[in-house]
Amino acid sequence: MRILLIEDDNLIGDGLKTGLEKLGFTIDWFTDGLDGQEALYQAPYEAVILDLGLPGRDGLSILKEWRNKKRLEPVLILTARGDVDQRIAGLNSGADDYLGKPFSLLEVQARLNALIRRQSGQLTPKLSFKDVSFDPQTKKVCKGEKEITLSPKETALLELLLHNKNKVMSKEVIENKIYSWDDEVQSNAVEVHVHNLRKKLGKDIIKTINKIGYIMEDA
Amino acid sequence: MKKLSLRLRLIVFFTGISCLIWVIAGALSWHETKEKVDEFFDTYQMLLARQLAASDWNIISPETQQRTNKIIKNIKNADEEDEAIGFAVFNQDGRIIFHDNENGRYFHFDNQDEGRFVNLKIDDEDWRIVFIKSADEKFLIAVGQELEYRNDIALDMAEEFMLPWGGGLLLLLILIVFMISREFAPLRKLAFDLHFRKTEDLSPLPEDGIPQEILPLIRALNVQFAQIDELLKRERSFISDSAHELRSPLTALKVQLEVLRLSIDDEASRNNAMQKLEIGIERSARLVEQLLALSRLEASFEQESDKQQINWPQIINILKEEYTPAAESKNIAFKLDVNGTPPFDNGNQTLAALMVRNLLDNAIKYSHKEATIEIMIKNKELIVSNSGIDLDKDTLTRLGERFFRPAGQKETGSGLGLSIVLRIADFYGCKVSFDNKDGKFSVSIKTKN
Repeated sequence: MRILLIEDDNLIGDGLKTGLEKLGFTIDWFTDGLDGQEALYQAPYEAVILDLGLPGRDGLSILKEWRNKKRLEPVLILTARGDVDQRIAGLNSGADDYLGKPFSLLEVQARLNALIRRQSGQLTPKLSFKDVSFDPQTKKVCKGEKEITLSPKETALLELLLHNKNKVMSKEVIENKIYSWDDEVQSNAVEVHVHNLRKKLGKDIIKTINKIGYIMEDA
Repeated sequence: MKKLSLRLRLIVFFTGISCLIWVIAGALSWHETKEKVDEFFDTYQMLLARQLAASDWNIISPETQQRTNKIIKNIKNADEEDEAIGFAVFNQDGRIIFHDNENGRYFHFDNQDEGRFVNLKIDDEDWRIVFIKSADEKFLIAVGQELEYRNDIALDMAEEFMLPWGGGLLLLLILIVFMISREFAPLRKLAFDLHFRKTEDLSPLPEDGIPQEILPLIRALNVQFAQIDELLKRERSFISDSAHELRSPLTALKVQLEVLRLSIDDEASRNNAMQKLEIGIERSARLVEQLLALSRLEASFEQESDKQQINWPQIINILKEEYTPAAESKNIAFKLDVNGTPPFDNGNQTLAALMVRNLLDNAIKYSHKEATIEIMIKNKELIVSNSGIDLDKDTLTRLGERFFRPAGQKETGSGLGLSIVLRIADFYGCKVSFDNKDGKFSVSIKTKN
């Protein structure tokens, strides 16, 4: 899941980026409001974490502009202010959820998962396909009753395909969604991950559509 | 000793005074009446004596006495009024030849006091008697009246006067108590209101209906209330701002700690998180330190006893020494010219040092490498400037706001340093201005006079 993080505080931003990456997200982090605002148009993000007090441009203005331009990515607002007015202003400007400082990393993760789940129209927290089930919060993958260990990128790929069941995902889209600007991507990285997933979860779990991409398709 | 209530004291005082005046007036009135009564009865007695003196007493006989006795008896029966007047007629031998058959028969012969009024004791009672000679000078006429009777009359008359006066006095006393109580009602109400006032209620006391004498008190109280209210508001906003500002460093610490927990099998990430935690803790500590410094300022201002001649060159040289290692690490050079007239001479040395320290701290923190920091004191102005900074206009106007930090700061800071500078400068009647020209940022502290 590729997430856009806009936070000017070095320590918080660094902590969120490192922490969320450890939890299986792909993070692009910007400290300046204007840069962050532009970033949304440059890559496919599943969700945005937006701090309100930003240099360059404040969070609420950025959010309003996105919504005016019909960008519907779910936005989680971070606010230091405890007051209700600002939360209301944030939600009214098109935010989907907010978190008041000081928050915990795991809470950010849970809220992001909930936002993404809602966005993809999924009702239950767990994702499943055939005998494979996946818990976005714990990142636990099971085949039947048996727990399977996956690498972070394999997990990200599985989660992406599960969220987009019955949709063909091109190699480019997959690369964009599971790698951030900071990652160096090998040209055959996606093929390798697909290969590994098939090995661990069963040959027929992912179908290859020639020259187009990959799909998890109900039989 | 606790003083009795003013109201009670006024009531007691006025009651006492009124009663005293009433008693004096009564005594004077009694004395005056008595004199008048005496005068009146003396005249009456003398008149009677003269009439008696004009009679021919040579022809008097015991029969005459008996007849007179009868007449007097009849008169007595008819009229109970006893004017306690008596008379006697003495011959030259001092023998009574005629009397009124009552008190007069006990009169003593006294030709020494002829033509005069004398007070004599007769039958254990005080009498006032006048002796005059008859027309033929053969007889001595004595006409007397019991003094007690006169006193009774005088007393009766005085009573007639004093009774309405007594009623008036009573009415006056009631009015005094009523008026004093009424006039003291606003004070009592004020005391009641203040007693039952809620601690957090700092609204002004109403001024209407308050007597002129108490108005200054109320106004002074209201000014006090307003000041406390202002102070409380400042304190509250300070606390809320502080709490707000502490949220960010706390969030950073919390998130980094969680990262650390997630990095058990990743040494690089673990080390990074620990380093970030350290920075975060330093940042929080610095923030708390600055918050404390700012909150202590108010208390320091109160201590006028710390006022002394400020040695600016000394303060600046000590601080320069202190900051030399930090400056050297960035190859920053100092340029000092601090022997001119400072913005203020007298004050608290610690506060002056705190002000310069914050300016110097900022200058070093936000200067690029190889920059020059200039500290200058001249013409009642202190200027600290550093090269290598460009701030936009918006930032320049917002500098000094509490917790404001210009965008894109890599350095950790509380955003309070300039607030502290501003507060101290303001206390010593100085104006702070910021300027940014040709890549040189300068802060000027100049006396307003």
